[in-house]
Amino acid sequence: MHLTIKMEWLPVAALVILALPPMQKFLEQSMVTHMLVQIPALAVIGWFLGRALPENWGNQLAPWNRWGITGMVFAIAIMTYWMLPRALDAAVAEWYAELAKFITIPAMGIALGVSWPQLNPIAQGVLKLEFWATFMRLGWLYLDLPDRLCANYLLSDQRVLGQLLLLAGSAWAITWTLRVTFGTRIINT
Amino acid sequence: MSAAETSGKIEYSDSVNRNALIAVKAHLIAGLLVFLLMMLGGLTMRAAQGTWLEIGADLFYQIMTVHGVGVVGAAVIASTGVQWYFLRQYVRLSNGIFWTNFIIFLTGVVMILGSIFVGKYGGAWTFLYPLPAISMGAWSNGAAALFQLGVLIIGVGLLILYLDFGRAILARYGSLARALGLTQLFGKEPVDYKHPAAVVASTMVLIVNFLGIAAGAVVLVMGLINLYYPEFKPDALLMKNLIYFFGHVIINATIYASVIAVYELLPRFTGRPWKTNKPFYAAWFAIVFMVMGVYPHHLMMDFPMPSWALIAAQILSFGSGIPVMVVTGYGALMIVYRSGIKWSTTAKLLVLSMFGWGAGVVPAILDAMITVNRTFHNTLWVPGHFHFYLLIGLLPMIIGFTYYLTGEGDSKEETKTVDNLGFYAYLIGAFMTSMVFLASGANSIPRRWAAHLPEWVGYAQVGTVAASLVVIGMLFFIVRALVSLPGASNPR
Ligand code: HEM
Ligand SMILES: [Cu+2]
Repeated sequence: MHLTIKMEWLPVAALVILALPPMQKFLEQSMVTHMLVQIPALAVIGWFLGRALPENWGNQLAPWNRWGITGMVFAIAIMTYWMLPRALDAAVAEWYAELAKFITIPAMGIALGVSWPQLNPIAQGVLKLEFWATFMRLGWLYLDLPDRLCANYLLSDQRVLGQLLLLAGSAWAITWTLRVTFGTRIINT
Repeated sequence: MSAAETSGKIEYSDSVNRNALIAVKAHLIAGLLVFLLMMLGGLTMRAAQGTWLEIGADLFYQIMTVHGVGVVGAAVIASTGVQWYFLRQYVRLSNGIFWTNFIIFLTGVVMILGSIFVGKYGGAWTFLYPLPAISMGAWSNGAAALFQLGVLIIGVGLLILYLDFGRAILARYGSLARALGLTQLFGKEPVDYKHPAAVVASTMVLIVNFLGIAAGAVVLVMGLINLYYPEFKPDALLMKNLIYFFGHVIINATIYASVIAVYELLPRFTGRPWKTNKPFYAAWFAIVFMVMGVYPHHLMMDFPMPSWALIAAQILSFGSGIPVMVVTGYGALMIVYRSGIKWSTTAKLLVLSMFGWGAGVVPAILDAMITVNRTFHNTLWVPGHFHFYLLIGLLPMIIGFTYYLTGEGDSKEETKTVDNLGFYAYLIGAFMTSMVFLASGANSIPRRWAAHLPEWVGYAQVGTVAASLVVIGMLFFIVRALVSLPGASNPR
């Protein structure tokens, strides 16, 4: 028997796997995997879904998303919301918040996937630096705050997350610096 | 790649060039006007310390804050004008972005002015944590926040501009290393004497300021969070490191951006080209790290600092500025020496700037020695050294470039009496201002004191006279700029 998997179905399959209750429990039992694995995975799934959308959908949306601005605003709003500790708490405690997370974050990924390439390279640069700074700020906050931010997670969890965010931010900064300094055009003109 | 390809100039349409020239003039005029106002502020502070003027301590600190942030802002915006004017000749830059930064800058200025004069913020331009949050009633949290937001906004505008620089430089040279001349320095490419100095300098400025702004973006927001959420107490020493990294890099880079005017203009006046070569590239490569590594000289009295950082800072501070200073000073001398240069005010200012920069480095290096710093830390020695190279090094570059844009540098006429008056009033005043600060510091008079003890008042009074001379000189310069600059066409 010959099995053909259409590439487009892969993200959907991944989404289903992430939504399976054991998987969900497993990733949400720690703040680190919740914020650094599950949520990014949902966003990446959205990104690929966005790439796989039928051509004419994109064309229909285009007038509403000139230069990718609407999509980015939408994505940033969702991102900001899910950075709030109480949003994470709600997702762990309430099924409807969890559902909202499983819908809005892939939607954010779709918006990013569609809009990011259309965005002016200068705006991309500003946003990249802003994302980077957010990593560092959050990492620092999680390390230094005296109290737990999430009712559902331990303080030690929060500290580990803070360290990981700072580490990731530093790695990102170093690779970015090396790339612009020693070659390979990274900014399209 | 052939020499023609690396040094060839970019063509723009006439209308784009016209608009670009207007933009550059707007940057210069805005910068010079702010400088003048801030000098009046400096004069006021000196007169208050000299007991010739009665102002409250709260007003003194507001003036000190606006003076610090104002001159740094003016230095940034004016030096950016100089840099952009020359860089766009070698890489394709966008007028729209240049104007965008200017507008964002003005917005930030309005916010900062509001925070100081309406909100009464007087915590100095260094917004050193935790001072902004503990004013003991002198200003509100909102005022401190507005100040930091204003600085943040200005940072975003600059970030946009530097991204455009980066995009354009990468588009032409492929990598920053190549734009800096590193491929030539390390023998990967033959040395191209025509590789533009403006591109090398701009790449250095772009790298350090980008990183400076990145640090600023983090530390400013952490400060803001602390203002509204005091339970969050970030590590004060880490905050101080980041703040001084940001502040030191930004103000230092202005001189490296403005020196492009020396590279581009002196050869014009003598007909001898400025040739880039390996020592030149090596110096600019070194300065990338030095400018970023020396800031701990502000932290020498912070005993918990790791001593390796302080020692590294001391060593780097010794060397900092020297490489570029030497290649630039030497190069400038070689270009001017027996060239029969016509001493227009433009040329005089540019050569003066070399002196101010070179001589100003000496007291700076002294203060960066840990043993000396033990005595001079937070005395007026510190304002002494930086007023020296800012007043006699940086400003002459900027004013010299402004004169050049009015056409004075290329004109065949004798220098005008007004220009001479302005030049010498400024020169004497600026030199005296700096020397009085240095002398005060050597006599252990502290910096940032609104009221001075009776035995210090004499210094402040001499300083006041000196300051008036600077202001008079600057007035001549400004009037000249306002009269001649708007109508001047691009010097060919
Ligand atoms: C007429 C010219 C000027 C005069 C009379 C003057 C005077 C002063 C005075 C009295 C102070 C405070 C000193 C103290 O701590 O007691 C000061 C601080 C300062 N000045 Fe100037 N100044 C002048 C021009 C400039 C220029 C052109 C720049 C930069 C381009 C500059 C940069 C600064 C900075 C960064 C500070 C430190 C502020 C702080 O401590 O927070 N000044 N100046
Ligand atoms: Cu410094």
